[in-house]
Amino acid sequence: MSVAVRAAGLSKAYRDGLRRVEVLREIDLAVEPGEMVAIVGPSGSGKSTLLHLLGALDRPDAGSVVIGGTSLAGMSGAELAAFRNRTIGFVFQFHQLLPDFTALENVMLPGRIAGREPGAVHAHARDLLAEVGLAERFDHFPSQLSGGERQRVALCRALSLEPPLLLADEPTGNLDPASGSHVFELLLDLQARHRTTGILVTHNPEIARRCSRVLELVDGGLRQAPGER
Amino acid sequence: MRYRLPRGPTKPESEPDHPMSLLLRPWPFPVLLALRYLRSTRRDAFASFLSLVAAGGLTLGVMALILSLAVISGFQEALRGEILGRTPQIEVELPAGLGDAETLAVRRAVETVEGVTSVQVQVRGGGWVMEKGKVQAVELVGFEGNVPRSFPGAAGRPEGFYVPAPLAARWGLTPGRLLQVVSPRPTLSPFGPQPRIRSLKLDGTYRSGKTQEDRDRVALPRDVAETLLGNHDRRLDVEAADLDAAIDVAERLPAVLPPASVVRTWKDLNRPLLFALRLEKAMMFVAVSLIILVAALALVADLSLIISSKRAEIGILGTLGATPGTLKRAFLLLGGLVAGAGMLVGTVLGVGGAWVLDTYKLVRVPGRVYFLDYVPFLVQPLDLVLVLGLTLTLALASALYAARRAAALDPVEAMQR
Repeated sequence: MSVAVRAAGLSKAYRDGLRRVEVLREIDLAVEPGEMVAIVGPSGSGKSTLLHLLGALDRPDAGSVVIGGTSLAGMSGAELAAFRNRTIGFVFQFHQLLPDFTALENVMLPGRIAGREPGAVHAHARDLLAEVGLAERFDHFPSQLSGGERQRVALCRALSLEPPLLLADEPTGNLDPASGSHVFELLLDLQARHRTTGILVTHNPEIARRCSRVLELVDGGLRQAPGER
Repeated sequence: MRYRLPRGPTKPESEPDHPMSLLLRPWPFPVLLALRYLRSTRRDAFASFLSLVAAGGLTLGVMALILSLAVISGFQEALRGEILGRTPQIEVELPAGLGDAETLAVRRAVETVEGVTSVQVQVRGGGWVMEKGKVQAVELVGFEGNVPRSFPGAAGRPEGFYVPAPLAARWGLTPGRLLQVVSPRPTLSPFGPQPRIRSLKLDGTYRSGKTQEDRDRVALPRDVAETLLGNHDRRLDVEAADLDAAIDVAERLPAVLPPASVVRTWKDLNRPLLFALRLEKAMMFVAVSLIILVAALALVADLSLIISSKRAEIGILGTLGATPGTLKRAFLLLGGLVAGAGMLVGTVLGVGGAWVLDTYKLVRVPGRVYFLDYVPFLVQPLDLVLVLGLTLTLALASALYAARRAAALDPVEAMQR
């Protein structure tokens, strides 16, 4: 299942002492269901901030975000959390696995947070990990896994509830080229097979080119990347 | 415990289920998170130390509070037994000048009141007993019928003259010995006012108890007492089934008594003592509760440290959809588990310790100095409820404070730490 993502007039500014730093200025974005969009831009251009706004992790100063027809405006903290749980899967640059939980348990977390039946959550998590080649790593803690393995676990966790939207923030940025390429292949494969809408933030032009569309964030504004149709 | 679930199609046959996979248990997520963090805390030496300090402090506080209240309750109970055993359940002071017929009528009326088991007319007053030049100031209690309950050891015996056992021992008195009872109420003689003196044959002794009474009492027949003291200070000694029933009976008595009668219960007669006992217990409760307060603060420090060290993880859980309420409940439960462990151990040690110390009379004190030769421990259910209620309230308030901080964390900011 996939959803359309719409953002209109999205603005966000931060206070840096007495200075007001405008990170995003009236951004409009439309991502179609099943599309995989890459957002590129220099460091500090606000890519992660945009991803946080689209992922219901932060609130914009102005503008609106609508995911699958549901507006995030006016939702309470608890409502946003529940929305994230059932609608959005996140993959971060630094795997962000919970060190006190095994690989299998990390993948089970979203399901258990959602209150789903443990047996079904467990079986699905095993399937997902096996799907990315980690069948022998179920009971390993994150500290016992390589960087690529951790990111694969994180990918499984993001997709464990089959969310209609996947948001990835530099998912390969902390990996060596070979592992990064492997993880990205997996991400594309899983995104296609699970028919998930995807928004990917990356510095890597190779990775960006393999997405269906590339947008560039410059000076707080979003535009079609040069060379893109 | 191992959980075996239906295996997925891609599950390798060789792969065992994780023996400690907590997430397989069908418990709410906050419970699973709290249990996992309780276990993982053991790997953090400082957090473990703080958890131990918090739980140990609560153990110590609960145990100290239970034991200190038990020792006060034990002493109070013994003291109440000593004092109340010598106090009428209900004492009715009749108006002065009531004649014999009117006194008898009042007595009969009181006997008809619901709950009254016995009524005795008494007369009281100060005086002395003398024997071979020895003099002792006493309170004369004139009674009728059998010796009243307030003279333990002689209660129920026939009308006669009874003195405290220690006085009899000091003076070497035995039943049958003749003593002089002197009243300060003068009688006119050709030589002017003279004190009234009666010679009475000693019938026996009663136990005066181990506490210091204001003045030794002697029991003597009412008709003899009235020749010494007059009949102006007549009282009724009214008994009910027990001390609690006496309070109810006392409320019904005024309806049948003549105006200006004064009704006093055992509570009224011992009000200063009972107040002092309650005050002592309350002050002890407040003082020892400070240990629990300090332990509760240690619990805040412990949870704050855990939350600080798990800050990024709390942020991640937020991105995965854990609501602030879920996180709050998890950390509240974590605090509750640490506090609960401390409370449980403290309760077992406190109640068990009190039982052992009381049953085997392990704390001995000199019987000549105190009115008991060992320290009694009595755990009263209400005390236990108060101790555990206070501890639970302070511990949950501390845990709630820390848990609210965890719930208020912004997922993005928390992850960026």
